[in-house]
Amino acid sequence: MNTLDVGDLPPYDISSQSPLWWGQLCTAIIEGMMFAILIAAYLYVRLRMDVWPPPGDQYPHLLLPTLSLIALLISAPFSYLASEAAKRNDRAGMIRNLVLNLVFAAICFTLRILEWRSLNFNWQADAQGSYVWAFLGLHSFDFIADAIFTLVLLILILIGRYGEKQRLGVHVDSVIWYFLVAVWIPIYIVIYWGPHIFGSQ
Amino acid sequence: MNRMDKALTQPDVETGGVAALRHSWRHPGGIIGWFSYDTHQAIGMRYIVTAFIFLLVGGIEALLMRFQLAHPNSGFLSPDRYNEIFSTHGTTMMFLFAVPMMEGMGIYLVPLMLGTRNVAFPRLNAFGYWMYLGGCIFLYWGVFSNSAPDAGWFSYVPLAGPQFDFGKRVDSWCQMITFTEVSAMCVGAELIATIFKMRAPGMSLNRIPLFCWSMLVQSFMVISAMPAVMIASSYILVDRTSGTNFVNPAEGGDPLLYQHVFWFFGHPEVYIMFIPALGFVSAIVVAHSRRQIFGYPAMVLSMVATGFIAFGLWVHHMFATGLPQIAQAYFTAASLMIAITSGVQIFCWIATLWTGRIRMSTAMHFVFGFIAIFVLGGLTGVMLASVPLDLQVHDTFFVVAHFHYVIIGGSVFPLFGAFYHWFPKMTGRMMNEPLGKINFWVLFIGFNLTFFPMHILGLKGMTRRIYTYSPEMGWGTLNLLATWGACVIALGGVLFLVNFFWSRKAGKVAGNNPWDADSLEWAASSPPENYNFEHLPVATSRYPLWTPQEDFTVVTGLRNDRREVLVTTLMDAKPHHRYVLPGPSIWPLLAAIGVSVGFAGSVFNNWYIVWGSILTGLALIGWFWPRRPVEMLP
Repeated sequence: MNTLDVGDLPPYDISSQSPLWWGQLCTAIIEGMMFAILIAAYLYVRLRMDVWPPPGDQYPHLLLPTLSLIALLISAPFSYLASEAAKRNDRAGMIRNLVLNLVFAAICFTLRILEWRSLNFNWQADAQGSYVWAFLGLHSFDFIADAIFTLVLLILILIGRYGEKQRLGVHVDSVIWYFLVAVWIPIYIVIYWGPHIFGSQ
Repeated sequence: MNRMDKALTQPDVETGGVAALRHSWRHPGGIIGWFSYDTHQAIGMRYIVTAFIFLLVGGIEALLMRFQLAHPNSGFLSPDRYNEIFSTHGTTMMFLFAVPMMEGMGIYLVPLMLGTRNVAFPRLNAFGYWMYLGGCIFLYWGVFSNSAPDAGWFSYVPLAGPQFDFGKRVDSWCQMITFTEVSAMCVGAELIATIFKMRAPGMSLNRIPLFCWSMLVQSFMVISAMPAVMIASSYILVDRTSGTNFVNPAEGGDPLLYQHVFWFFGHPEVYIMFIPALGFVSAIVVAHSRRQIFGYPAMVLSMVATGFIAFGLWVHHMFATGLPQIAQAYFTAASLMIAITSGVQIFCWIATLWTGRIRMSTAMHFVFGFIAIFVLGGLTGVMLASVPLDLQVHDTFFVVAHFHYVIIGGSVFPLFGAFYHWFPKMTGRMMNEPLGKINFWVLFIGFNLTFFPMHILGLKGMTRRIYTYSPEMGWGTLNLLATWGACVIALGGVLFLVNFFWSRKAGKVAGNNPWDADSLEWAASSPPENYNFEHLPVATSRYPLWTPQEDFTVVTGLRNDRREVLVTTLMDAKPHHRYVLPGPSIWPLLAAIGVSVGFAGSVFNNWYIVWGSILTGLALIGWFWPRRPVEMLP
């Protein structure tokens, strides 16, 4: 019987070689499918209606959502820098970039909530209302969940209660954050620009 | 340099031998310990046992329906109760038996076949099981409080919508979906990560056992298709509870869209149940014809192709809804195409069997039964793919016969074969072979007696889901025959249980590899230890146990004093790094309870989603919080 000695291999790896990274990718696929189906369903419903947005619904405002999107886009590079700092075990770099990531996420979310208040329809109004609020609700739910996860990681690093597993956590946290940023772009286009592009009243 | 870095620079030597390995992989004691298990054998077995119980429950529901339909104008069940029972039967068999059973077999077998110690995310695995159990309890809590779903297993709107279905009946269906789909997606994600990253060194993509390929394809289908059904069931639920208009045509919603979204999941669902069964068949055929599989690349490619094509077929469930002709033509062609990929596999198995030295074991009997029944189901499938015929027999017993031939023939027969094949591995004892063969023939005859007459009933115009019929219709004899057949199937089920319990107690001791099979699970002891292998094996060929023993290679250098496994590269399975899996924990159960509070409560009041989310969030933080310094170290 022959042997293959792996004792010299590193006992962890903070990269896409880690199973956890693939788990996060699967999470992104699951949620990506969910949003893709909802976008397809939104367009299907739009095709079946003559008037869009349906009577009584305003055309969406564009200023606040666009500012919110810009804040969200700015947050992504900080997530990347934090994950690179995690690979180097650079505590100060992780703290700085996670804080900035969260600050821009908070700005994005504040703008989003301000924008909600200006919508003149709720989820009960009609099909468009149901879909728009489904997008807003589901993405916000994911957004808050991941922001809390990021905050917990930040706290663990601040109090020094961290090791390779938590640094790997910072790395895979960035994967899901890129996803949340990336998936918001088509949703933003569909729900805010959509009625302007393919609406008719 | 802090303590952590110092630990890293110390050489990692294999520590403590098998005693240390046993200690670090032991199950925790006590009741809380029992709820904390996270080894793949324990979780897989929990899935298998629970799903088997629901197979029996769904079977009893089927018998009740058959008793009702045995004679014209029967008053055995009220129309309302009949609606509840056929809906619960379909729902149970799909969501509480078939998918979780396949997941359970995958969880149990995949790490063993890959030559590793556990799945990639053991705690997620435990969480997934608790979510599944939550779904079971939730649905049957509805059943026993007069709130069983009554709009069929696919709950078409507007029948299932707020205008026509009162009370909580359909709500219990909707949230049961969410429970079980969360569970299935957990398993899908963890199996993908396990199969991609935790294979034995040397097990490159072209050496993965076909069963693991089938679970990989199935897992990708799960994570791509299940979000659709969660959306579909949520459409109904929020329309019912929160006054949204997703499927309300009065406010621009679309009932037909519900069907599209549902079947975008529903058709792949068939293959989610069926593809692991192809893996069972391949494993059994190879082991029991004692020959390498014929056409391994063709087998793998057709499984992958089936996975893709399955997403382009869903509209053939909706031919009767009035579609544009181009869509009908497209989906007919796509539906016919699935016969190519299935046919390739059937021919590969036949070629393997033809040139092999077949051992006519019970498992092999079930494989032959599978081929016969599945081909018949496939033939009616090709018939149904053509629109004119489909319109003629739409919603009749012909369709009922077709999908029972495909699902029972395609999934349940291979599953029973798999039970007979892997029972020695799971329990350490052989099942009784003569009784097993009787078991097979009783099931085979019972099955055909039950479902073959339904083809004819369908052609004679008997629609599905009717609770009774009048004597003038002339359906009485065939229905009575089908009911007798159902009783024979039930007898087959009893025979299996007798064999199971008798063999567990008194079966012949199996040893590690009673079938002289090829794949790595047979290198572990029967039943496997929690750590599976004392030394992780190296895959030197596609059939590691059939290569000469002097070439057999094992991995050394992993630490035994903690749950360490080896991560390998995606394509070639070269050793890349070592990886420490988490130990048992009660947090997955607490997190599942938090999610359950949200899901179950949301049927009654939307605020439960908030409370459930808070509870879940707290449980997840507890789950991830590093408890001891040792958890922070590599």
